Amino acid sequence: MSGPRLDRQAVERAAALVSLRLPRGPHRGRTGEVRAHSVGASMELHDFRLYQPGDDVRHLDWNAAARTGELVLRVRQEEVSPRVEVVLDTSASMSVSPEKSARSREVALLLCLAAQRAGHEASLFTVGGRGRVVRGHDAGTALEALALDGKEPFPEALRRAPALRPCGLRVWVSDLLFESDVAGLARRLAQGARGLAVVQVLDEEDLEPSGGAGARLTDAESQESLERILTRGVLDDYQRRLRAHLALWDEGLRTVRATLMRVSAAQGVDALARRELVPLWEAA
Amino acid sequence: MSVGLPWGFLALAAALPIVAAYFLRRRQRPRVVSALFLWRTPSQRAQAGPRWERFSREASLALELLAVACAALFLADVRCGAQVQQRHVVAVVDGSLSMAATVNGTPLSDAVKARVAALARAQGATQLTVVESGPRPTVVAGPQAEVGRALAQLESWSPLQPAHDVAPALLMARELAGARQRVWLFTDGPLPPRVGVPPEVQVESVGQKLPNLAFVSAQRRDVGKTAQVTVRVLNASDAAREVPVRFAAPGLPPQMQTVSLRAGATAVVRVGLSAAEGATVGPVEATLPDDALPADSAVTLLPSPDAVVNVAVLEGLSPPAFAALKRFLAVAPGVRVQSPAALSFGPPASTARVRLGAGEPLKGYVGPFFQSKAHPLLEDVDLSGVVWAAGPNPPGRPLATAGEAVLVSEEDDGTVHLNVDLGRSAVARTGAWPVLLGNVLRRARFEAPGLPRRHLMLGEDVPVTTTAGATWRLEGPQGRKRPILAVGSLTLPPLEVPGRWRLLKDGEEVDALAVLPIDPRESDLRDRGPYEVKAQAEERVAGLFGERPRPWWPLLALLVLLALDFWVTAREARA
Repeated sequence: MSGPRLDRQAVERAAALVSLRLPRGPHRGRTGEVRAHSVGASMELHDFRLYQPGDDVRHLDWNAAARTGELVLRVRQEEVSPRVEVVLDTSASMSVSPEKSARSREVALLLCLAAQRAGHEASLFTVGGRGRVVRGHDAGTALEALALDGKEPFPEALRRAPALRPCGLRVWVSDLLFESDVAGLARRLAQGARGLAVVQVLDEEDLEPSGGAGARLTDAESQESLERILTRGVLDDYQRRLRAHLALWDEGLRTVRATLMRVSAAQGVDALARRELVPLWEAA
Repeated sequence: MSVGLPWGFLALAAALPIVAAYFLRRRQRPRVVSALFLWRTPSQRAQAGPRWERFSREASLALELLAVACAALFLADVRCGAQVQQRHVVAVVDGSLSMAATVNGTPLSDAVKARVAALARAQGATQLTVVESGPRPTVVAGPQAEVGRALAQLESWSPLQPAHDVAPALLMARELAGARQRVWLFTDGPLPPRVGVPPEVQVESVGQKLPNLAFVSAQRRDVGKTAQVTVRVLNASDAAREVPVRFAAPGLPPQMQTVSLRAGATAVVRVGLSAAEGATVGPVEATLPDDALPADSAVTLLPSPDAVVNVAVLEGLSPPAFAALKRFLAVAPGVRVQSPAALSFGPPASTARVRLGAGEPLKGYVGPFFQSKAHPLLEDVDLSGVVWAAGPNPPGRPLATAGEAVLVSEEDDGTVHLNVDLGRSAVARTGAWPVLLGNVLRRARFEAPGLPRRHLMLGEDVPVTTTAGATWRLEGPQGRKRPILAVGSLTLPPLEVPGRWRLLKDGEEVDALAVLPIDPRESDLRDRGPYEVKAQAEERVAGLFGERPRPWWPLLALLVLLALDFWVTAREARA
């Protein structure tokens, strides 16, 4: 689909102004600056336990040993560089308009850049079509060449995608416009992640479809068709069903404590970074 | 039910644009959407797994096609269990010979066929009946036949009837058409003033004034090997003509004679055609030059030898009676004294067919004589001046009497009694005697099985004699057959068409005659021409809102279907 291309410069400008906020709690990852879930050599006290042969005697708490007469070992938390996974829905509905296609990829790239700037290990998962995993520093190039043309529903594409790993933050970028078991899919995406955030990218035609004439409506993914005279009543019915669908997702994501951000593809990525995506950033 | 009305078919054609519009409607402006399921109306039936869900999508088209079908049924005047609205047209065509005249090479009969076809179209006829006028009117197409079939039947019609009154045909046509229905008569000229045209009848003439040459009579007599042919030729034109008449017979050189005829005059032409020794002359064809009416310009005359009657004279006759009979039989033509005999003469006490003689006491009569002149035996018998000596009255029905005396009588079995004593009477010496015996002989000749006449003019009755114990019938041209059911000397109604007719006895030909296409009244075409009589009575039209109105249920069904279609379409629009 021709139209607006991914604007890397705008994304990089927006990324420079934000700092990705991770959920509270220990994380896993490579050695870094964030307190990990596992024991390590940081200064943060994690636990006490009795000394066992093989333990580093440098971690013995001599004060405790003097008070109790037992060799008590001071267990410290490991400081890690937590993983951030950006899961991008690449189904064909994400590219019903050039703006929606560009904005989806820009949001994903923004998240990858923000994670990298925060010293996190960013990974981009594309789900739909040929799903694959891209390292954060390759995300820009990969997203520029990425075609959003998956023809299968997201839940099925997710099953065939590379396995998600335990991570600190998982951000799912999708339009959420498909039929599925919402609660089950939310649990599945939240599983293994310290926190789940969902960025729902919707086109203007998704939110406020134009009417006035008859149209042969074709589903972007299944290619099924339906003829409708787009009268006011038909559009109102669509709006009512869209609201019910969105409410269903609100409820499903709330059960897994996920953060949902609904963005319009008509807005630029810098504007999104300043307004709709604020819950992802650390306070200034 | 019938869809024979053209409006019904036209209404069916409306299904095509509707189907086309339906498919055109499917080609709406394409639009790709992210979630089609948000546009789809949830169907409770679909969730329940209905089998006919797909049909409901096409409900509008199905309703519209049903509406078209209802419109077609209404316009086609459908009637279930009732008779379809019909338009019955009845036409009478003049079957007289003059309708076979040609104008610019086209027979008037063809013009009449075209007029009948045009009439059926103009009247929107669904049924057609065509009656041919004639001495006996006949239905040549129909009755109430489908128009195409009736016109096909009319194609084989050819007018060959003698001059006749059209009133019986008009009466039949009115009965076939029904009360107050219009009847059309197609002829070739003005109707005679005596013919009263009923007010429902519309008359139209397709004829023209034409000059014509025609045979108005034709005779043939074969004597030995020579055929004597006598014809009378009519010049039915406004100018004098030199008319060549050609006579031809198989195996003989044709003979040509030319006669000069003034306008409207007739002339007799007589020729003799002789065959070779030991042979006879076959059918003789007499022809005139081609003219407006070819049918009356050629006649074929069959061989007509005098029939020979076997006669026997029984013993016991008085000498004067025997002598008188011998004298007559010696000079009478076609008589042979031989047994077995068809005619026998004998004394009063014999078993002869004709019993001649008178018993005692005799009494003479000089008149007045009372005769049954209509009886064939006494035809042209003049008894004035005759002295008749008669005895006691014979049995049977009296044919001639003098006072109380019965002179001639006939019994029911055909036995004739001549109550006369020729020795004391002057009968045998008067002209009445050979005439009386000639009549007896002629009747005997007529009573012989077969056809006593070889040639008949159009419209003439047919004399024929049949015997019991066999199946008799006449078979004519074009496979026409007429069974003869009675026995004896009969007079049949005129034969329908000219040509050679065979008399068949148990399927074998025993005799033949020719019906000559001759009728002087039909040959004179000078009084033919345009003629028209408008119908005076208003026709009772059974139309759309007539006595038998169209059934309204298809229209009601149409309205219901349209309302349903509107509702379905509106519901889909809302969805």
